[in-house]
Amino acid sequence: MRRTAILLGGVALLALLLTPAAGTATQQQPGNSPAQFARGRELYQQACASCHGPDPAGQSAYATVPSLKDVGGAAAVDWALRTGRMPWKDTVGPVIERGRPRFGDEDIRALTVYIGRAVGDAQLPNVQTSPELVAEGRELYGQACSACHGMNGAGAALGGANIAPSLQDVSPEDVAEAIKIGPGEMPVGGGLPDYDFHSGESTRQVNAIASYVESLKTRPYNRGGAPIGGKGPVPEGFVAWVIGLGALILAARWIGGRS
Amino acid sequence: MDVDRERELTADQRKAERAAAVAFAVAILAGIGLFVVYFSGGQTQIEGVLFSLILGGLGVGVALWASRLLGAHEAVEERHELTSGAAGREAFEHALAEEVGPTLARRSVLVKLLAGAGGALGLALLLPVLSLGPAPGRTLRETPWRRGSRVVDETGKLVTLNSVPEDGFITVFPEGHPGAADAQALLIHVPAGSLRLPPDRMAAVPDGTHVAYSKICTHAGCPVGLYRATTQSLLCPCHQSQFEVLDGAKPFFGPAARPLPQLPLGVDDQGVLIALGDFYEPVGPAFWDRGKR
Amino acid sequence: MTTMLERSLKYVDERLGTASFARRALRKVFPDHWSFLLGEIALFCLVVLVFTGTFLTFFYNPSVREVVYDGPYEPLRGQEVSAAYDSVLRLSFEVRAGLLMRQVHHWAALVFVAAIVIHLCRIFFTGAFRRPREVNWLIGIVLLFLALGEGFTGYSLPDDLLSGIGLRIFYSVTLAIPVVGTWVTYLLFGGEFPAGDIISRLFVFHVMLLPALLIGLVVLHLAVLVLQKHTQFPGAGRTERNVVGKRLWPEQTFKSVALLLLTTAVLALLGGLAQINPVWQYGQFRPFDVTSPAQPDWYIGFLDGALRLGPPWDLTLFGYTISEVFWPAILFPGIAFGILMLWPWIERRFTKDHAEHHLLDRPRDAPARTATGMAGLMVFFIMFLEGGNDIFGVLLNVSVEAITRTLQWALLVAPVVTWLVTFWVCRSLKRSHVHPARISAGLRLRRTAAGGYETVDLEPTSHPD
Repeated sequence: MRRTAILLGGVALLALLLTPAAGTATQQQPGNSPAQFARGRELYQQACASCHGPDPAGQSAYATVPSLKDVGGAAAVDWALRTGRMPWKDTVGPVIERGRPRFGDEDIRALTVYIGRAVGDAQLPNVQTSPELVAEGRELYGQACSACHGMNGAGAALGGANIAPSLQDVSPEDVAEAIKIGPGEMPVGGGLPDYDFHSGESTRQVNAIASYVESLKTRPYNRGGAPIGGKGPVPEGFVAWVIGLGALILAARWIGGRS
Repeated sequence: MDVDRERELTADQRKAERAAAVAFAVAILAGIGLFVVYFSGGQTQIEGVLFSLILGGLGVGVALWASRLLGAHEAVEERHELTSGAAGREAFEHALAEEVGPTLARRSVLVKLLAGAGGALGLALLLPVLSLGPAPGRTLRETPWRRGSRVVDETGKLVTLNSVPEDGFITVFPEGHPGAADAQALLIHVPAGSLRLPPDRMAAVPDGTHVAYSKICTHAGCPVGLYRATTQSLLCPCHQSQFEVLDGAKPFFGPAARPLPQLPLGVDDQGVLIALGDFYEPVGPAFWDRGKR
Repeated sequence: MTTMLERSLKYVDERLGTASFARRALRKVFPDHWSFLLGEIALFCLVVLVFTGTFLTFFYNPSVREVVYDGPYEPLRGQEVSAAYDSVLRLSFEVRAGLLMRQVHHWAALVFVAAIVIHLCRIFFTGAFRRPREVNWLIGIVLLFLALGEGFTGYSLPDDLLSGIGLRIFYSVTLAIPVVGTWVTYLLFGGEFPAGDIISRLFVFHVMLLPALLIGLVVLHLAVLVLQKHTQFPGAGRTERNVVGKRLWPEQTFKSVALLLLTTAVLALLGGLAQINPVWQYGQFRPFDVTSPAQPDWYIGFLDGALRLGPPWDLTLFGYTISEVFWPAILFPGIAFGILMLWPWIERRFTKDHAEHHLLDRPRDAPARTATGMAGLMVFFIMFLEGGNDIFGVLLNVSVEAITRTLQWALLVAPVVTWLVTFWVCRSLKRSHVHPARISAGLRLRRTAAGGYETVDLEPTSHPD
């Protein structure tokens, strides 16, 4: 998990240094080379077909496994593989957590090309963040995302052991892809009105939200000190009792008598 | 230092004295540090630590002084009787009744009128309290939604059948009242054929797929902002009431007792979604006369 | 220096007659146990609250008029926010030591109520509320309510999203009061939610009405204590007719000053190092926005938990409705705090004990009282746990439904079990005379005079105290 963050951070830093414009790098569009396609098909047969079926656009092998036909296309593949959620790690319960990606960047791109073309949805989102968009992004985030993910991106429970994960350490690509896909319990379009993957307005809104989410990582504004998990009054109350009152009871015992 | 005094202090006390001295010195240094930090711009964490060192240094020093250097002896104090005794109480009653007593007995009509006037004053003083707020009237039963109100999103943009992707949802308001607290509604695009509403309610769902419910939780009024797309249920973050979207937003878990009221929708000739009337029931949590018209 | 001091004392004494009164006061004896300092911790938190609160009042603007934020917190720049919210952000980001004072104030509020609760527990479990101290007990419970009210009104003042959600819930609870609910709510809030007046009204409560009552009652609380003299634990030389301890001057004064300084030091450390209520992250309150997780400050948490545990039963008779919110948020606190307030008289009904008591019980000396107290604490503890059910769910990887169902059953079972276990423990401790914290050092066989054998508990060689 930490290595993924460092990896993504390193890629972002490199891209930042190489790109003249402000903000982080745009998504690398998967190429269309036949070599990538072939490599992708090979990897798919090895690692994915046992659950998702021999044809990505066809039926999956089990009733509990979704077919890749309409889960969001190339964006879904990229998101699931980059965040290490796929291949499935034999988790307990409905939550499929982030983890270390099992494939390298090249292989991920290959699988994305192959599956994207196979299901007819090969385009990855093009996301560009900028500090100027943070305020507008925060406003949109409050409308569409904060109910599940929390205004500070700390994440929350969704009932039935589902969770909306923390967004305090995700990349802009994660944000854009998740909004397009609507993974798990998340609605398609992320709650944004008039969401259309191909429209300029939606792209702008997604860029703004991604900029705000990025600011949660780069400029988290924890000016008050240790954020204590960022989960609000419950951990604060815990600290008040255990550390605050605890220290004071020790002080009282030191000062007072013991008769 | 006085040699005589030194001999009087035990080793323990001398240690305490030294420790207290160190504590006070820390307080002084922290005070100087705080001045420097404050006048060079300030920083919350450093200010907090330095303040804490000033107070803590003083506190530790004084505590050591209290516990080791005072030569504490136990003292005993007798408790006095708390009661004034029967005689004392009688004297008080006598003093109270001395002048007023006979008057009270003889002028009973006057006393009764005094009591009445006092009561009138009491009630009169309550009147300004009633100015604090309006009568509830019909405001708890009505929202700005009317038959023909066009549906807009939070920014005031008109909403059509293409505004929400399948398995998506947005928050909507009546045109002219974007952001109105009691009018807030959720517009959810569910897969065709999945809704299980009675026929008259299905007629108020455009395309059989775009259903709208009040966003105000019927339990304690929080906005029910969490839509779970795979189970088509709504979750309220405050007390975890969960509502079944396909089944008229009926609560299936949690403390909510009533479903989220449905907003009847139609489509006008420009393809814009419109309301066919106000919500079917008063929105939000229950109140005493909710069942009355 | 000393002649100046002497001259000032002479000046004041000649006009107010202070010297002899002061001498008597300084010689007053106070019993000396660390648990008697718990109330002082609460008092010193109040001192911190008043000082930091006064500072905050200079900067806070209780108005919901919309202004455009143009401060250094970038995510909100250019956004329309209320003047109240804007003033809190300005204090947090642009006023030197502003955020420190705000955070110290908020931490002090949390620790204040915690200290009151612990102090209340000490009074309860040692039977200090018995005659002649029933009135002071009542004053104390009222002080607890005032503290809860101060806290709730206080953290709702910034008009942020999280506290605004809490205000909406409070509005719904007052609506649920039978018969007069809608009227009371409209009078209190000034109309339909979100009535704009509520922030300025909360300000009046928080800064004027409640502090006046709080400080007045605290003075009364202390005055009664001084008049009746403090209680003490039984021990050598201690009777119902005396007070054994240390004098006000110099011992108790030094100790109290030390505790004041250390209390303030702990609060200052928390205020600087531990972030609390970062309202800039939550954003301005809007009645159609919401954030997760959503909880109130800890001392309101038991009500939040009660609401989550409450069954979905609303009652409609002849067109009149009793909301499902009534049971957990109105009936339960009413009964619980009613029992708490009336406890001295409830206990007296069972013990038939009308005597004056200045010697305290050890908790084990009154097994039924201690067991009832522990059972009551267990009820509140379960509610506090449920208040954080979504956070614990994520932490433990368990569904909120499972936590809620478990705690609903626990609410029925655990208090009874707690009562029985506590009762049994108290009785056995009373019988065996063993200090609960002492580890047994073993047994020794001893010959009795009659020729038989008996076992004797060995005294442990090191004192755990």
